This record gives sequence, structure tokens and C-alpha cells, in this order.
Amino acid sequence: MAEVLIPASPSEAVSLYGDGAGTTVIAGGTVVMPEITYGRLTPGRVLLLSNAGLDGVTIDGTTITLGATTRIDTLAALGDQVAALATCADNIADGEIRGQATVGGNLCVSQGPEAPRGDLQGVLLALDATVRSAGADGERTEAIEEFLSHRAGRLVLDVSFERPSASAFSALDYPHTHEYTVLAVTGVRAADGTIRLAATGLAGTASRLHAAEALASDPTAAGAAAVGDCSFADDALASAWYREQTLPVLVRRVLNQLEESA
Amino acid sequence: MKAVGARVPRYDGIAHATGRTVFVDDVRIPGTLWVKAFRSPVHNAMMTNLDTSKAEAMKGVHVITSESVPLLEYGHLSALGIPADEPLLAKDEVRYLGQPIAVVAAPSEEAAMAAVAAITADFEEQPALFDVRKAFDADAPVIHDKGNWYTHFEDEMDRRQIRKGNIEEAFDRADLIVQGVYRPAAIEHAPIETQVCQVVPEANGRLTIYSCTQALYFSMGVVAAHLQLPLNKLKVVGGTVGGGFGGKVDTATETMCALLAQKSGKPVKWRWTREEEFLCSSTRAPWHMEVADAVTKDGWILGRKMLTLHDAGAYSRFSPYGLTKHSFHHTGAYSIPNLEFNGYVVYTNRTPTTAMRGFGVTSVSFATETHMSRIALELGIDPFELRLKNANRIGDTSPNQIPYTDPSTVPTILAIADAVGHDLTPEYAGMTPAPRSGDLLPEHLVGQLGNPEAH
Amino acid sequence: MNLTVNGVDTTIESGPLTSLLDVLREELGITSAKAGCEQGGCGACTVLVNGASRRSCLTPVASIDGAAVTTVEGLGSPEHMSPVQQAFTHHYAAQCGFCTSGMMMAAQAYIEGGGSDDHEAIQEALGGHVCRCTGYVKIIDAVAAVARGESFDLSVTAAGTAMTNIGGMA
Ligand SMILES: Cc1cc2nc3c(=O)[nH]c(=O)nc-3n(C[C@H](O)[C@H](O)[C@H](O)COP(=O)(O)OP(=O)(O)OC[C@H]3O[C@@H](n4cnc5c(N)ncnc54)[C@H](O)[C@@H]3O)c2cc1C
Ligand code: FES
Ligand code: FES
Repeated sequence: MAEVLIPASPSEAVSLYGDGAGTTVIAGGTVVMPEITYGRLTPGRVLLLSNAGLDGVTIDGTTITLGATTRIDTLAALGDQVAALATCADNIADGEIRGQATVGGNLCVSQGPEAPRGDLQGVLLALDATVRSAGADGERTEAIEEFLSHRAGRLVLDVSFERPSASAFSALDYPHTHEYTVLAVTGVRAADGTIRLAATGLAGTASRLHAAEALASDPTAAGAAAVGDCSFADDALASAWYREQTLPVLVRRVLNQLEESA
Repeated sequence: MKAVGARVPRYDGIAHATGRTVFVDDVRIPGTLWVKAFRSPVHNAMMTNLDTSKAEAMKGVHVITSESVPLLEYGHLSALGIPADEPLLAKDEVRYLGQPIAVVAAPSEEAAMAAVAAITADFEEQPALFDVRKAFDADAPVIHDKGNWYTHFEDEMDRRQIRKGNIEEAFDRADLIVQGVYRPAAIEHAPIETQVCQVVPEANGRLTIYSCTQALYFSMGVVAAHLQLPLNKLKVVGGTVGGGFGGKVDTATETMCALLAQKSGKPVKWRWTREEEFLCSSTRAPWHMEVADAVTKDGWILGRKMLTLHDAGAYSRFSPYGLTKHSFHHTGAYSIPNLEFNGYVVYTNRTPTTAMRGFGVTSVSFATETHMSRIALELGIDPFELRLKNANRIGDTSPNQIPYTDPSTVPTILAIADAVGHDLTPEYAGMTPAPRSGDLLPEHLVGQLGNPEAH
Repeated sequence: MNLTVNGVDTTIESGPLTSLLDVLREELGITSAKAGCEQGGCGACTVLVNGASRRSCLTPVASIDGAAVTTVEGLGSPEHMSPVQQAFTHHYAAQCGFCTSGMMMAAQAYIEGGGSDDHEAIQEALGGHVCRCTGYVKIIDAVAAVARGESFDLSVTAAGTAMTNIGGMA
């Protein structure tokens, strides 16, 4: 039988988490619960975040902070601040799952072949967000790219980013609410005019499209350059060939949308 | 036809709307043990050293294997005298991924999962066969000791064949031959209620079986045969099915649950997970169909040669029946006077396939309709008119020589043309299913179409 | 732990990580919510938690300690069906009935949230629910009819029909 800890405040959550060794975090549970039900995960020690007070969106000037257990459906309300975030959130699962699934969970799931998870990672990469987390060496705030490269043993507390001057999100069409994300691209124009691009659904993890960013003023060239930046998954959802053909289209669409909103 | 178009009472409408309908999983029997299966982790292998001792040593755990089954092999068509080819539980070999090898009953779902995890066996993997087209190759993996295809059609023929008219003459007379290959894929029935069964050993020695089967008396016979029990020892309660679509015709769970209830003396329940449903339950078969039609320039189909490979998966189950239906319908909604059909039920290492809505017929409808459009395209004639021209008419006969008394092809195609606003020439627009005459009975077909005596 | 289930205060004995679905079905014997997939993909297990529609299979019971849970049994009885239940009966929106409980709970949340009879909005609200039998048309018709505030004459569609096959009505 698992030991289940239900902290009642953020600080209690941090201290109960400690260095995270042997601890399974459950936020919304939309990914973890089936693992337990199907017997693939038998947790020894569980930190249940439902009551930890880690939820909520705060807007401080131009800085937006999303608490780790903020429900994905809350992000729809941020449409006028960060269009890409709201559109991406709206594409995740269905309304009921969105009311249960959390931002922190989305950031911490591993993307695998055929796993419809972690869609927000691409948007947050393009937003150049920073992640505040706790773990063995205490609290730490770091760029999301870094956080994603070594997530183990970290309890996410919140994610922050600067409100962009424009943002756009484009994904391959979903024939059904539960269809997995085959490919999605986010584009952001920062307040200083810098363009950042990121994609999800490639091969494993979300990634920044640096080469395409450098050519952002020419959407067609940027689309072509994006292909060189990526490796493409070949799975039941789509062939690598198909992803390779469609990535430039999505990059172009996103850059054109950013241009239009200028 | 009092019910057509009228509002009629649904006998189970209120029960569904108030959550009161008792599906098999909703039957509450205190003390019920959970059932889980140890399944083949590979597609094709020889199996040795099956060891269930650790599981059996666990508290409250009961295990059955092939040795626990009084009659191990009993086929879905055994009642018709067709030899069985599938063991209830795998014995020395496994032929598909997910094939059940041992089944456990335990006091809780977790305990049942732990018991399954404690079972071991050695698998010596063999090359697997997934493509029916390769089954006939000299170097193909051998799936069954008797070969890679079913051999028990009438007179122990190894194929279902149909011969009608004079096929060679039809091909000699043709202006062109139109060929096509059609390969619809397997489909999972995906009922929202997964396979589920509850069995209760009664004080009087009977077993009460709560079953989601679509074929209650059939399942009853299968359980009785494997357990070698007279039918009066079984009480099967069914009729409430959470979606089946053909996938609940096979007796997937009842027999194994009955054996576990006998062995443990306790009520047992097996509810498949969604993953088991997708990975281990039967599917609609994938089919491979090759069609060659002898066609005249003005759109008459004089003859059809067809080869069908019906993928049975690892065991034949109902596939011979499905292929037979398929052969009877292999000209679709159209009359073709000269036929040469050969169909094989082919074994592969896929999950065994079974009935699904329109068993055996949807595949050939897909092939025929696509082929009709292909012929129309090649001849450059209107696809509606091509279909109407060759449509089944009163008195025409099916491939297996059954005269059509009320064929619906003509009114159906006219209705479709109307619905999509497709203009037809008056000759076709006024067509009826009545026997052929006039221009639509060309010289060379007199004595062939519309005259069963001629065949 | 405690839950208020269909208005009744209930002490929960199951372990804290037990899914709400298992608590309802196995501990409390409330069987309208179904285990269609136990991984969030089908919607058959949907119930209301504090008024919001939720996948009970994905919800560890400890995470909703103290909450109010409503299942189909709490919507209405065969004698006094709620508008959603009446509409599902009247429109033949249940075929095999296995997805029906989850569909109705999602519909209930949609209606309580002031949902309109717009078919696209209804499709969006029921988007996470799979029905393998009906093709959805009648389900959407039923929800739209409730949204329009229609009343239903069940004297034909449900006359003398309060029965089922297995073991009669629970
Ligand atoms: C039917 C269905 C459809 C789905 N569709 C999509 C989709 O379209 N797109 C998509 O992106 N996802 C999808 N998902 C996956 C999932 O719902 C989301 O990724 C969700 O955001 C996960 O959040 P959660 O809070 O439920 O995660 P949980 O299940 O609670 O946790 C997921 C993982 O993150 C860890 N974790 C959670 N919170 C923290 C934290 N604060 N700190 C450290 N670790 C943490 C957990 O330990 C676990 O490893 C779908 C899921 C289902 C069931
Ligand atoms: S059982 Fe919960 S969504 Fe399918
Ligand atoms: S009515 Fe059968 S699944 Fe919906």
C-alpha cells in the first residue's frame, strides 16, 4: 500500500517532497492514474497535490505566472494575453479532461511515440518561460529548455513568462477531440521583436526551431530551414515523411499569422 | 410494417436512462474473485517450462492451464462437424500475441495481477506470418501442422470455389479485361463494454454464467463441450450486451471463468481491460481480393475471375462461414453470368478474426463497388448507368444459383442518383427491377442473364 | 474520507488512491458509471464532482475528499426522471446503453452551465464521450431538446418498459 501525502500548502508540499527520491507526484492524475490502474506503476510514496495551493494564474505587469496545478481549461481565459497558449490549451483532450489536467503535469510528462501529452511544452518553449521548482538542492528557477533536459527529482512550483507582443499556434487538424498531436508549431514575437519558434510532435520531446527563427522574415525559407533542425518520428500516427512535409507548412502559417497581427 | 416510421416503446429505454440496466459488470455477487490472464508475449513460438507454481502458492489464488480443460480443442464450428483447431488455452505453442496460456482468479484485481506476474514460461520464437499473400510461399513460416490454409470445405477441399457459366468463353469475347486488387484492413469492434463474464457456482452443482455474449445458446454449447458437462448443468444469463457488433459471438471468457469457478468453488469475474480488448480480442478480418472482369465496350460485364484470401488470424473460428457468405455475394449487387471464384481461409499470426456487421460481405461490397467505378472510368461511361445496366433483376441468379425474386439494386441506385442530383437518360431513369428486355438485353446475353435454366 | 454521494453523506473506506470509479462501483455498489477504458478515453465513467463533469476513472478518491458526487442514480428515478433522462428516453438516445450514463452526466453539466441547443456546442461538450452504437445524432438531438426547454411525452416511447434482462432493475 502506498503512503499517500496530501500537503495543504506550497511549503508543506516542498518539504514533503524533499529530494523527491521514491516519490510519485500526482497532480490532475490524468496520466498517472491509468498507470496505477493497469498495474504498470506501483507507487511507494505519493504526493497528491490536489490541496497544495499551487494553482492559479497571476499577472504582474508584463509577467504572467501559472501555478503548477493550474487546470488547463483556465488557460482559455488568457486568450487576449497569449493567443497561442489559449489555442493550444483548447486543443488538448476534451473539456472534461482539461478541467482536471494541470499545467505542471503537462510540463512533466514525457512525450513518447503515440502519447498525446505535453502539448504545452512547445508553447512554453516558444515563450522562453522559466520554471521554478524544488528538489534536492532546494529551490531553483531556470529556463524551460534547461528544465526539460533534467526534470527528474524536481517538483514544479510554477512557470513564468513575459507577455509577448504576438503569438500564434498551428497544429495539424484534429479529426476527433482525443486525436493525438501529430505535429504543432508555436510562434512568438517577444516585446523586443525577437521571433521564437517551437514544435511538438516531432520525435520524443518538444524543441525550439532555431534555424527557422534566424530566417523568420522569410516564412518559406524558415519552413525549409526548420526541417534541417528536426528529427521526425515515424509512428502509427504519421510517417516521418508526412511530418517532414507538413512542418514547413505549419511554420509558414504561424509566421504569417504573426505578421498579420503586427 | 406497423413499426416502421412509428414511435414504439423501447423496452429498456427507461432502465438505460436511469442507470438501472444491469450489465454483466454490474451484477453484484459478494466474494467474487477477479480473473486475469497470462498471455503470450510473442506472435509465434514453441512454449516450454510453463510454471504456475509461484502463482498457485499465493493466498487465495487459483490457476488454470491447458491441463485443466477436459476437452482442450473445440472449434466454433465443431457443432457442424468441422474439426477444431484452437485450444482453449495454449499448450506447447503460441500462435498470436496475447493468446491466453494460463488464467488466474484471485481475491482482488491487484492480487490477480501479481499472480499473473509470477507465472513464467520459455518461448522459442519462430518467424511470424502477417501477410496472407506470403502464406503460400514455399519458405513461408508454417502456422499449422496441416498447412497455412483451411482444408475442410465440402469434400475436404482446401478452398471455397464457385464456377458458373463458361468463364473462358466470356474472357475470349471481352473487349477488355479490367483488373483490381482490394485490401480492406482489420477493424476492431471496440464496444464500449469490454469482454466481461461472471460465473457463480451454485449449491446445486450448476454454474450460473452471466455473459455478454451475442449468441447465448452458442456460448452455452461451447462451454458445455470444453467442460464436458451436460447442458442442464449450465444456466446462462445474457441478453444485455454493451455493444457487440459481431465481436461478442466468439466465446471469449465464459469457458475459462466457468473452469475457474469450478476449481475455486467461488464466484469469479473477468472484465477485460481496454488494452486487452484492442490487443487480444478478435477483429474483423483483413481481406485480400483480386478481381478481373471481362467487359464489353458498351459496359456489360460478361465474366469475373476472383481470388480471395481471407485472413483468419491464428485459428479458423468462424472464418470458413464468413468466406462462404463472401463467395455467395462476390458479384455484389450485380449480375455477372460467368464466374470463376476461388477463396482461401488463410492462417497468419494475427489475432483470430471473426464476425462483424455484414460478415464476409462488406469486404466484397467494397471491392465490387470500387471495381464498378474503375470499369466506368476505363470505359469512359457513366458509373450510375454501368451499375444500372448490370444490376440484379428479377429472375437473375446469385453466384450460387439462387434466383432473385425482389432485388433492390435498381431502386437503390435510382434513389442515390436522385439524392445526389445525377441526371440519367430516360432509358435508365425509368428502369425497374423487372426482367430484362429490349436494348438492355443484348444478343450475346440472351440465354445467360435472367434465365436460371441456362446455367 | 467522506463524500456526499447523490445527497447522502458517506464514509469512504477504500484506499486513498482508489479511483472514484472503483469507490462508486466496488465499495458503494453504485453501478451506473461504467468502466469502459479506465484511462480517460471513453467517458463512460463520467460523474459530477461538485457540479463539474469528471472522469471518475482518473480521479484518486483522496483528491476529492469532502466533495459532492452525483451519478445517474442521483438525477432521477424511473418514476421521476430528470429532463435529461426524459430526453434520452424520448429521443432513443440510448442504444446498448453502455455509454449512456456518462453521456447524460456530461449533458447535465452542459445544461446546468446554461448550454444552448447549438449542435456544435453540444458536440464540443460531449467530445470526450465515445458511443459505438448510435452515431451520436439522437444523443445530440436529446441534449438540444433539453436546452430548448422542451417537455417530453413518454406515454409512447417508454410505456410499461421499466425492466431489464439481467436480474431486473437494481
Ligand atoms: C483522453 C486523454 C486525452 C489527452 N489528450 C492530451 C492532449 O491532447 N494533449 C496533451 O498534451 N495531453 C493530453 N493528455 C495527457 C494529459 O492529460 C496532460 O498531459 C495533462 O496536462 C497531464 O497533467 P496531470 O495533472 O493530469 O498529470 P498527472 O497525471 O498528475 O502527472 C503527469 C506526470 O507529471 C508528474 N507531475 C505532475 N505534476 C507535477 C509537478 N508539479 N511537479 C513534478 N512532477 C509533476 C507526475 O508525477 C507524472 O509523472 C490526454 C490525456 C487523456 C486521458
Ligand atoms: S472509463 Fe473513464 S473515461 Fe473510459
Ligand atoms: S449506446 Fe452503445 S455505446 Fe452508446
